Amino acid sequence: MASRGGTARFADRNFPLLLVAPAILILLLVGVFPLAYLVVASFQGITMTDNDKSFQGLVNYIQLFHDPRLWTSLLHTVLFTAIALPLELLLGLALAQLFLDKMPGRSVFVGLLVLPVVVSPIVAGATWSLLLDNRFGPVNQILGWVFGREMPLLWTINPELVYPAIILAEVWQWTPFMFILLLAALASVDRSQMEAAAIDGAGYWRTFFRIVLPAIWPVMAVAVLIRGLDLFRIFDVVWALTQGGPGMRTETISIFTYIKGFQQFEISYTAAVAFLVILLLSGLVMAALRRVELSR
Amino acid sequence: MADLKIKALHKHYGPVHAVRGIDLEIPAGEFTVLVGQSGCGKSTLLRTIAGLEDADAGDIEIAGERVNDVAPKDRDIAMVFQNYALYPYMTVFDNIAFGLRARRTPKSEIEPKVRRAARMLAIDHLLQRFPRQLSGGQLQRVAIGRAIVRNARLYLFDEPLSNLDAQLRDEMRGEIKRLHQELGKTMIYVTHDQVEAMTMADRIVLLREGRIEQAGSPLDLYERPATGYVAGFLGSPAMNFLPATVDEQSSGPAVRLTPTLSLPLPAARRGALEARRGGALTLGLRPEHILRAAGDDAREGLVRYSALIDLVQPTGSRTYATFRLGERDVVAELQSHDVSRPGEKLDLALDMNRAVLIDPETNRVI
Repeated sequence: MASRGGTARFADRNFPLLLVAPAILILLLVGVFPLAYLVVASFQGITMTDNDKSFQGLVNYIQLFHDPRLWTSLLHTVLFTAIALPLELLLGLALAQLFLDKMPGRSVFVGLLVLPVVVSPIVAGATWSLLLDNRFGPVNQILGWVFGREMPLLWTINPELVYPAIILAEVWQWTPFMFILLLAALASVDRSQMEAAAIDGAGYWRTFFRIVLPAIWPVMAVAVLIRGLDLFRIFDVVWALTQGGPGMRTETISIFTYIKGFQQFEISYTAAVAFLVILLLSGLVMAALRRVELSR
Repeated sequence: MADLKIKALHKHYGPVHAVRGIDLEIPAGEFTVLVGQSGCGKSTLLRTIAGLEDADAGDIEIAGERVNDVAPKDRDIAMVFQNYALYPYMTVFDNIAFGLRARRTPKSEIEPKVRRAARMLAIDHLLQRFPRQLSGGQLQRVAIGRAIVRNARLYLFDEPLSNLDAQLRDEMRGEIKRLHQELGKTMIYVTHDQVEAMTMADRIVLLREGRIEQAGSPLDLYERPATGYVAGFLGSPAMNFLPATVDEQSSGPAVRLTPTLSLPLPAARRGALEARRGGALTLGLRPEHILRAAGDDAREGLVRYSALIDLVQPTGSRTYATFRLGERDVVAELQSHDVSRPGEKLDLALDMNRAVLIDPETNRVI
């Protein structure tokens, strides 16, 4: 009798756990298993021609540090992020400020502005590649009208133009994401605080930095974090426009990983690269989250 | 000298005509209360004075200068908001100092000024706290501190006490009034609460549907209301209104409530009704002007009435008794022990000297 009571109590107490168990199992299966597999593979020596599953130690990780192409691609990635992220943030914030006040046709404008986010990045990249085409693209055509002579700019080939081209496409597509989040955040700032500041004698910038910015900061931090992570993994737009070229000039870490893994099939080495990226980003996210937490 | 002068002010919110032609002069140093029901335009008027809303027509002058096109920060005003509107990411000290810093007050002056304001409001021990760590009453004090720390010409209060509980409200009411006496500044205070208006104001401006219904000292409005609306708005419990007709008696015009009940008027009050014989009339009688009849009370204008008490509401200091007079329920404010339970029969005296006679057509007091 006593043991039956004990079983019943055990089931009672753990009923919630039993309910969530299937979901957790599936999450572990799709999330943790590939990660574990990745880590295991990164210590092996699998390539296209050699299915060597023996333990190779840190060979792949040591190779990481002697691979200039990896570090260059990492540098490119950081460069894209460092330029595009502030641009998207500032443009999004400026647009949000602009559309904060009620005006006729506001909802139509906002709807149109948000359209780029809806487009699949690879499609956006392909579209921009058409727009920037050196012979038939409207961008060169319009520049030609403005400057009064033909402008056969090689946007996706000229080393000086590829970065602006990619960043243009990237900023075009993702500024609206910042815009829409910041618009929501700005709209929720307490109006009477701003009125109080206006009466207190604070100008636009003082009001913005002392009252508006602290109020929208949590939302802004999350938006920057999301966009930062996305930018760090940038692939589609670059692939559609330059495939990492000219040469390896615009190769990002994602493109490098893709080429290593799925064109050169250096499976184990690619696993090590992927694991490095995971570590880097996890560290970044944790540091960022801690900062956001602290600022509250 | 008038500190604030408003001429023919109009303000629309889309289709709503919120302020409909307000003329107002507020002398320096006066405590003016704008009072009225919600939607009467009092907050809009205050916000327009502050410059948070633009006037659609009319002039606003502060210290003789037209300020319609002057930004709020240059109008030399300070304002306390209904929801406090404290800056949540700053300490109490920084909240109070914000206006001084925005106006580039020298650092050496800021600290003593903030401390002095905080001391006046008894919040000097809270200066390093954040607004989220404060209670409602403390928040309100900080909001007031933020206003008084600046030496503004005009202080505006937008229903500052409406978020506080009753006890705290009483306390803060007294404190704001004391503050006014100490600072001697011109203050404009918006409230929907007639008790606040009566107790705090040097002058009440009673608004209704965007217009001034009546302006004057609290007792002026209370004792000599211009309209039935004013008479009914001020006073708690509210004035009793009874539909009546002007009746002819041997002594002159009287107030007839029912075919069998007519209340004679004292000689001084009869004249006004001479021209209205047979016409309709609304009789206004304040609860405190219905007394318990004393045995030998034969003063002119006191009308005896034997009432059957229907409802008894003791408040401690006074007791409100409801009874039927004519066709209406009427509340009398009696001494605490004048009446003890419903169903009691009581001899009352209606003080017709203080009765308010209202023309039901125009709602104006005769």
